[in-house]
Amino acid sequence: MHIFANPARFLSIARPLTPWLGWIGALLTAVGLGAGLFITPPDYLQGESVRILYLHVPTAWLGMAGWSGIAVASLMQLIWRHPLAAVAARAVAVPGALYTAICLATGSIWGRPTWGTWWEWDGRLTSMLILLFLYIAFIAFAAASDEQGKENRAVAIFGVVGSAILPVIHYSVEWWRTLHQGQSISLTKSSIDGSILWPLPFSLLGLTLIFAAVVLMRMRTMLARQKVEARMRRMARA
Amino acid sequence: MNHWPFIIACYVIGIGGTAGVLLWSYIAMRRAEAQAEAITRK
Amino acid sequence: MKAKHQRLTLAILAVAAIIGAALLAMSALRDQAAYFYTPGDVKKDGIPAGRAIRLGGMVEQGSIARAADGVTVTFRATDGATAVPVRFKGILPDLFKEGSGMVAEGRFEPGGTFIADNILAKHDERYMPPQMAGEMHKTESLKK
Repeated sequence: MHIFANPARFLSIARPLTPWLGWIGALLTAVGLGAGLFITPPDYLQGESVRILYLHVPTAWLGMAGWSGIAVASLMQLIWRHPLAAVAARAVAVPGALYTAICLATGSIWGRPTWGTWWEWDGRLTSMLILLFLYIAFIAFAAASDEQGKENRAVAIFGVVGSAILPVIHYSVEWWRTLHQGQSISLTKSSIDGSILWPLPFSLLGLTLIFAAVVLMRMRTMLARQKVEARMRRMARA
Repeated sequence: MNHWPFIIACYVIGIGGTAGVLLWSYIAMRRAEAQAEAITRK
Repeated sequence: MKAKHQRLTLAILAVAAIIGAALLAMSALRDQAAYFYTPGDVKKDGIPAGRAIRLGGMVEQGSIARAADGVTVTFRATDGATAVPVRFKGILPDLFKEGSGMVAEGRFEPGGTFIADNILAKHDERYMPPQMAGEMHKTESLKK
C-alpha cells in the first residue's frame, strides 16, 4: 500500500487504469443487467419483480463497501499519515452515498409489489437509512473542515467510528426479526437458484469496477485542484 | 399487479445514477486536470 | 517508528471496541428491535387485547377462508408450534399465500382473534424459477 502514498506514483498508475476500469465495468454491467432483464426466468413466488435483484444487491454491497473503504482510508490517515488517504476517503464518499440511496430507492420500489409496502421501519431498512445519513454527514463534515484548510483528524475519526453501522446492517436480518428476508448468499452457499443467480456476479463486479473508476477520477480531480491551489499560493506570495 | 413499471423504475434510477456520477466525475476531472496542466506550463 | 506502532495498536483496539459495542448493543436491543411478535410470543407474554402490535408468522396450510362478503379473509398465523386466528378486511398483497410468511398490523380482540388493519407479505431468501418450484412441490406431495 505504501506505493500509493506518493501522489506522483499514484497518478502514473491511476491515469491508465481509469478507462480500463470504466469500460470493463460498463461492459460487465451491461451483460449482467441485460441478462437480468431479458433472459433469466421469473421467480416462483415473486414473479418478474425478482429482476430488481441484479441492481439492488450490487448497490447494497457498494454502499457498505464504500464505508469500509472510508474506514480503511481513515485508519491509514491516522496511523501512517498517508497524504493520499484523506483524498481517497473523500473520493469514496459521494459514490458511496449515491449507491446507498439507489439501494434504498430500488428496495422501496421492490417492496411495493412483493411485501405490499414502500417503507417499513424494520431493522435492515432503518440501519441502511442511517448509513445514508452517515455518508451525508461525512461529506458535509469533510467539506467544512477542508474549507478551513487544515488536515483534520476529526473527519478521519468520524470515518472510523461510523463503521459501527456495518455489522448492524449485516446482522440485522439474522439477529433481529425483520420484514426483510435473511441473507441469500454467503461465501459457501446460495439459496438463489443458479438460473436466476448467474447474471448477478456480472452486475456486481461490473458496478464495482465502475465505482472504482469513479473513485479514481474523483481522486485525480482533487489532486489536480490541490496542485492548482498550491501554485496559486506560491504565485500570490511571490 | 404488473411488475414491469416497478422494474423499469429501478433500472432507470440505477443506470441513470451510475451514468450521472460517471459523467459528472469525468467532466470535473477533465476540467481540473486541464487547469493544473495550464498552470504548470505558465 | 515507535509512534507509528503505538497508533496502529490504538487504532486496532479502537476498531475492535467499536465493532464489539455495535454487536453488544444489537443483542441488547434484540427485543426492542424485533419488528413483529410471533404467535409463540403472544402466548408467552400475554399481549393485552386492543394494543396495537404487529404479528408475524406463516400462513397455515389450508386455513385461508373467505367470508360471504368477499373482502373479509380469515386464516391462521403459525410459528410451527402455536397458531393464532387472524381476520382481515381489505386487499392482500400478491405474495400472500398459504405456507408463506406474512406480517399483520392490528390488535387482538378479547376473544383471541387478531384483527388486522394491514397485511404485508414476508418472503424468504430462496429464489427459484417456477418450473423448479413446481417440481419441488410435486416431490414433496409424493412423499406424503
